Amino acid sequence: MSLPPSRDWSERSRELSHLLARAGMGDRAAFAALYAKSSAHLFAVVLRICHDRAHAEDVLQEVYVNVWRAASGFDAAQSQPLTWLTSIARNRAIDSLRRAQTQPRLQSANAADDEDPDVYEQTADDRPGPLELLARAADARALAQCMDTLTGPQRSSVALAFYDGLSHSEVAEHLGQPIGTVKSWVRRGLLALKRCLDEAVQRDAAAPARG
Amino acid sequence: MDYSHPELAERLAAEYVAGSLRGPARRRFEALLPAHPVMRQAVREWQTRLMPLTVSVEPQAPPAAVWDRIEASIGGGSLAARPAPAAPSWWQRLALWRGLAAFATVAAVSLGVLLARPQPAQPPIVVVLNATGATADGAVVPATFVASISGDGRSMVTRPIARVSLQASRALELWAVPAQGAPRSLGLVSAQSATVVRGERMLDNADALAVSLEPPGGSPTGAPTGPVLWAGKLGT
Repeated sequence: MSLPPSRDWSERSRELSHLLARAGMGDRAAFAALYAKSSAHLFAVVLRICHDRAHAEDVLQEVYVNVWRAASGFDAAQSQPLTWLTSIARNRAIDSLRRAQTQPRLQSANAADDEDPDVYEQTADDRPGPLELLARAADARALAQCMDTLTGPQRSSVALAFYDGLSHSEVAEHLGQPIGTVKSWVRRGLLALKRCLDEAVQRDAAAPARG
Repeated sequence: MDYSHPELAERLAAEYVAGSLRGPARRRFEALLPAHPVMRQAVREWQTRLMPLTVSVEPQAPPAAVWDRIEASIGGGSLAARPAPAAPSWWQRLALWRGLAAFATVAAVSLGVLLARPQPAQPPIVVVLNATGATADGAVVPATFVASISGDGRSMVTRPIARVSLQASRALELWAVPAQGAPRSLGLVSAQSATVVRGERMLDNADALAVSLEPPGGSPTGAPTGPVLWAGKLGT
């Protein structure tokens, strides 16, 4: 499992901003280049939330058709391109779960083992679990220390909701805890994350820009 | 609730962006966003904080077919209308319609071939949903919907032929209508663009498709609650 390149989020975003601006003016070649540079990331994010590949492909298609239509409204002063794109992809993916809820959802076969969060980390397939992803993201962004300000359960709940798109009740089910407890873990976990992430952003801003 | 309250806005924005705000609460929050600058700002700040955490998700290249579908949806050059064989008037409208989704085009071309040939095993179907004459809050909606259904009946693309103006507070829901019994929801469809609908046995026993006007998240009851604005018969 190789860690994603250490290139910073902002740097990758800068590459995309020019393409996004051109796509906003109707430049199809720029839009194709934007897709080539960003689709593997967005597809991976969507796939974690949607599980089913065909479903994730449909969501990805909707995302880029939306991006093409909305590109002219993208405001570089308000957000970074990769942040904007990833937000659109996550929102679409989460909304699509609601649509799919009328159909039975595939669950892991070993339902009895699901109460143990450590087991959850290892089940299903060979992809890294949400906690592992959070830890890697922290490493990549030099946030390891600030992650320690979250308790273990807070980290688990936030990671399950964020990476895998689980609702409060699904997180509660996975962790075998009452929903009220999980809600407060998520809330406090996000507050702790906010404190440490905001410090990181200030550090990033203070670092000399490159490129 | 006072949604302008900074602490509440902050908490809801955090959970919205983290993904744990779900169901009706999520829809309510989204509906409120346009009118609440404090909340919009809080959402942007949370997106800035949390989205970079996705760097650790291993990139996965999507299959090439996805790009082909996107390119077709945004009206790529190669999909210009071709002369169609002699056909009914709705068909001409369909053939002339620019920006037809790739799937619809494939289905339409296949159907053109079908007219001249013995029937293959699983022909795709194009259903035209005509306006029923019902109006939405006095607004006239003369546009027509087209649904292109794959031969195996497991996927469908819906698309309005002309732009449908729809209040932000309303949504369009697609239904499979059986000859007898209650309509089954096939989910929400876009008033502006193509919507892909997938499912097993979506059209079992259905002999028509209908689109109704519903509240934002779709019908709360599982049956159409608003007027049926478009309907079309399945089959020939």
